[in-house]
Amino acid sequence: MNILYEWLKEYVEVPAALPRFIEEMTRAGVSVEGHGPAPGGGGTLLELEITANRPDLSSHYGVAREAAALYSKPLKPIEPAPPEAAEPASGAAQVDIAAPELCHRYVALVFRNLKVGPSPDWLSRRLEACGLQSINNVVDATNYVLLELGHPTHAFDLDTLAERRIIVRTAKPGERIITLDGVTRELKPHHLVIADARRAVALAGIMGGAETEISLRTRNVLLESAWFDPITTRRAAKELGLRTEASYRFERGMDVEAPLRAARRCAELFLELAGGELLAGAIDVYPRPWQPPVLLLRASEIERVLGIPLRGEVVEGILHALGFQGARSAGDVWQVVAPSWRRDVTSEIDLIEELARLYGYDKFPSRLPPARQPVARPPEAEAAAVLRERLEAQGYDEAINFTPVNPAAAEKFLAPGDELARLRNPLSEEVSVLRPSGLVSLVEALAWNINRGQRNLRFYEIGKVYAMRGGGFRERRVLTLAATGLRREKSVGEAEQPFDFLALKGAVEAALEPFALPPLRFDACDATFLHPGERAAVSAGGQTLGLLGQLSPALVAAFKLRQPAYVAELDLEAVYAAGLRPPRYQPLSRFPAVARDFSLLLGHGISFSAVRQVIEELELPELVSMTAVDQWFRGGALPPDRYSLLIRVVFQSPEQTLTEEQIRRLSDRLVEALEKKLGARLRTQ
Amino acid sequence: MRDVLQKVAFKLAQLGASSPSDVNELFAELRAAFDKELGHTSDLGGLEQLRARWRGRKGLDRNIRQNWLSPESSVRFAVGKAYNDFKEHVESALAEKRIELEAEVQKRVEAEHLDVTLPGLAQRRGARHLITQTMEEICGIFERIGFSVVEGPEVETDYYNFEALNIPEHHPARDTMDTFYLDLPVSALPAEVRGRRPGTSPFPLLRTHTSPVQIRTMEKQPPPVRVVVPGKVYRRDNPDATHSFMFHQIEGLAVDRDITFCEFKGTMEYFLREFFGPKTRTRFSASYFPFTEPSADLAATCSVCEGAGCRVCKQTGWIELFGAGMVNPAVYGFVGYEPGELSGFAFGMGVERFAMVKYGVDDLQLFFQNDVRFLQQFRR
Ligand SMILES: [Zn+2]
Repeated sequence: MNILYEWLKEYVEVPAALPRFIEEMTRAGVSVEGHGPAPGGGGTLLELEITANRPDLSSHYGVAREAAALYSKPLKPIEPAPPEAAEPASGAAQVDIAAPELCHRYVALVFRNLKVGPSPDWLSRRLEACGLQSINNVVDATNYVLLELGHPTHAFDLDTLAERRIIVRTAKPGERIITLDGVTRELKPHHLVIADARRAVALAGIMGGAETEISLRTRNVLLESAWFDPITTRRAAKELGLRTEASYRFERGMDVEAPLRAARRCAELFLELAGGELLAGAIDVYPRPWQPPVLLLRASEIERVLGIPLRGEVVEGILHALGFQGARSAGDVWQVVAPSWRRDVTSEIDLIEELARLYGYDKFPSRLPPARQPVARPPEAEAAAVLRERLEAQGYDEAINFTPVNPAAAEKFLAPGDELARLRNPLSEEVSVLRPSGLVSLVEALAWNINRGQRNLRFYEIGKVYAMRGGGFRERRVLTLAATGLRREKSVGEAEQPFDFLALKGAVEAALEPFALPPLRFDACDATFLHPGERAAVSAGGQTLGLLGQLSPALVAAFKLRQPAYVAELDLEAVYAAGLRPPRYQPLSRFPAVARDFSLLLGHGISFSAVRQVIEELELPELVSMTAVDQWFRGGALPPDRYSLLIRVVFQSPEQTLTEEQIRRLSDRLVEALEKKLGARLRTQ
Repeated sequence: MRDVLQKVAFKLAQLGASSPSDVNELFAELRAAFDKELGHTSDLGGLEQLRARWRGRKGLDRNIRQNWLSPESSVRFAVGKAYNDFKEHVESALAEKRIELEAEVQKRVEAEHLDVTLPGLAQRRGARHLITQTMEEICGIFERIGFSVVEGPEVETDYYNFEALNIPEHHPARDTMDTFYLDLPVSALPAEVRGRRPGTSPFPLLRTHTSPVQIRTMEKQPPPVRVVVPGKVYRRDNPDATHSFMFHQIEGLAVDRDITFCEFKGTMEYFLREFFGPKTRTRFSASYFPFTEPSADLAATCSVCEGAGCRVCKQTGWIELFGAGMVNPAVYGFVGYEPGELSGFAFGMGVERFAMVKYGVDDLQLFFQNDVRFLQQFRR
């Protein structure tokens, strides 16, 4: 809503300079978002942001009323009294409200012999300053009153109304209307229309019809000033995609007491600008006049909500300045009647808000409330913090991606049995499904960066994924990883190292290490988005936790990555359920640990984990750790059906220093078991 | 060497030495052995060992005294003199050699020094997303004054997202929260998300704010309640430098017996001072939200100009930040709280807005592009 400052000051004296006025009005709830010279040089334009509860502020007079209350200044009254001709209006037109629930009041004034023509300069300039186009003197007068008083009115060419009748009714099935903008609109039975004896001539509270509009040939005019139901107006405006100055106001709730005054103000302007005469008596169909509710306002409640007591004179002063009627009844209780333009005030708390904002929010003291409860921290928060720390320490940058994604990309990462959850009203097809995996956009993030010259990337994202399964919708928390390029760049003294599967696996292991999960297992899997040679499912205690591997070459090509990428996704619901492993003290051995390397010749297909399993099954108490140190597939004296695996085993006893003899016996048992169970052979030096 | 020492251990008689010339010969041999060994010593560690063997060893001294310097020996003067000469020689040779080796070490260290200006080696840390950092900071401030962090579903029902927050179906406030709906029935949601009451929309929606979690919290927990709710929210806005169809919010709620507008103000001011700095002043402007009353728009003094007015704050001195207010008693009715005894306040802030103001980020889209050149600026 744009307000011309000079126009506003015609109704109220502003005892402050403009910047202070703006600041003080904003604090009181009339938010001035900006200001500047009005188009056409008509003065200073204030750009107001009117909240949905205050349609009464969508006019110059409404804002002036608020300023008058704020500064305790008188408001110039507007009491139009247009002269009337002898002929009664009731004989010239007839008004019926067939839908009294949706139209509480309909005022019609009838004019004869108006001379439609261009508006005088002062009028067109004012309208243009406020952003409205000048059309002709009659239409401009209605718009002027809209800006001045805020109540929408509409002028019909009386001679185009069949039988000179106005019927306010709901639309008939299949009924159509051509609106002022020239569009033919099909109506629904819950749309409220203004009709004449034959057809709909206006969309109630939204827009007039083209067939009955004011033209240069118009001589006789029926002026409508009515009250239409907010929800009905809002629904129709939304369904028809037609938001107008009128619909904006009616859907927020107009003042049912305002139509007659607004119509009379229009009449003054019609007679001044277009001559002619106003027929005697307004046609005012107002079947159930407004009964203002009486609201109770307790001093005790004011203090309970606002935290300080307000003196009786302060309370009454503020309410009266805003147009409320009130009287103190028994004790510290007021009976308050809200003015008709304040339909938003319906309860005690609404009154208290009025008091607070005019008293001044800045006058209330500030206090911190005492805490009565300890702060609870969900275990997931701790777990997520540990995950973040682990991944960042390994050089993973955190990404945040959009939930809605491209369905074609989403399909590629969809787990078997899952279905995509679609949006009914996406912004575009590109973002029309909820992501079923964090990889959909994390791989995209790799591409974005590679295209900008950043080739060594490591990302993690902790977020949610969404899918339908078996008719049920689920959102789950996941950890997603994606990496590409070099794990270590070349530097003085260090060679470069590419990121590879084992680096990814290491990140997964490191991320999961703090959790109280059973030992992790990595088994081959068949996820199609992963490279067939480098893909695995990670599980713990028989529960699958996620997938990891090299991104399939087809997807590397599809996402134009131009270099191998490694991705993983872990189900955090399972990880969080396991919880963090509490650390526990293990006594330290006082005796030295001894490392022994074994160079094994193994048949192809015998994995490191098989070797480890055989060794672990021996349950040697002196075995502290075992790991793989190197691996060769060709060269030297390797037989063609074998590969070589170098493992390092560490022995230590908590009770004694192990002797050479004991170590030899342990080593022999280990080698024997590997020979017997896996057909392994020791490689001779 | 060993041979020489063994010889020293024998009595002169056993060696058959009976004249000073024999003695001198023996000591010449001893000295030659020492000199040879000294010649092979190339570092200070070796020199230290040599010193220990020849001079530091008490055994040699005792041997000579017991076996060679007895009064009856005819050559004891010759032995005494030769032994003293030998000891002197060892002493001065060791000292000389030490000086020589120390000079060498000095020379070598000077020649070998590393270019200390070379880059250090370390694993580069990953960067936590600025939005996560900002959320952690905001939640952390509220945790310090008794707020617990809770989370909830992003796919919501119309009831929790709107109706229970006093925003019925045709309320104009819905205009500012254009909503994404899902193409599936509400019945497909898990029972705990569907909750107690059906909403008017047959389709679930992507929550437009995190306020539904406040309703869910109050449904589950009797007062007092003090929570902050961080998370993703969605509004059907076309993306530009200040709009995104997904962004992050932190909403908070405090409900208790004696929370008033003054406690609301105090809490908000504390938070803004903690976040933007102790000089920050706060402006409360009256506003309107269906779920709070009285409502306020909060602004903080511009940290660039400290309120004097500059380009960043459009010369107003204020940066508008978020909406808040006292909980509208109507909301208590939806969750079965007794409005007459309770009061509280609620607030909702956009995390991106706070991050943009505090860190000077000028384009909202940067938060979702995941450009590492952006992300790594905020590494800690
Ligand atoms: Zn500034």
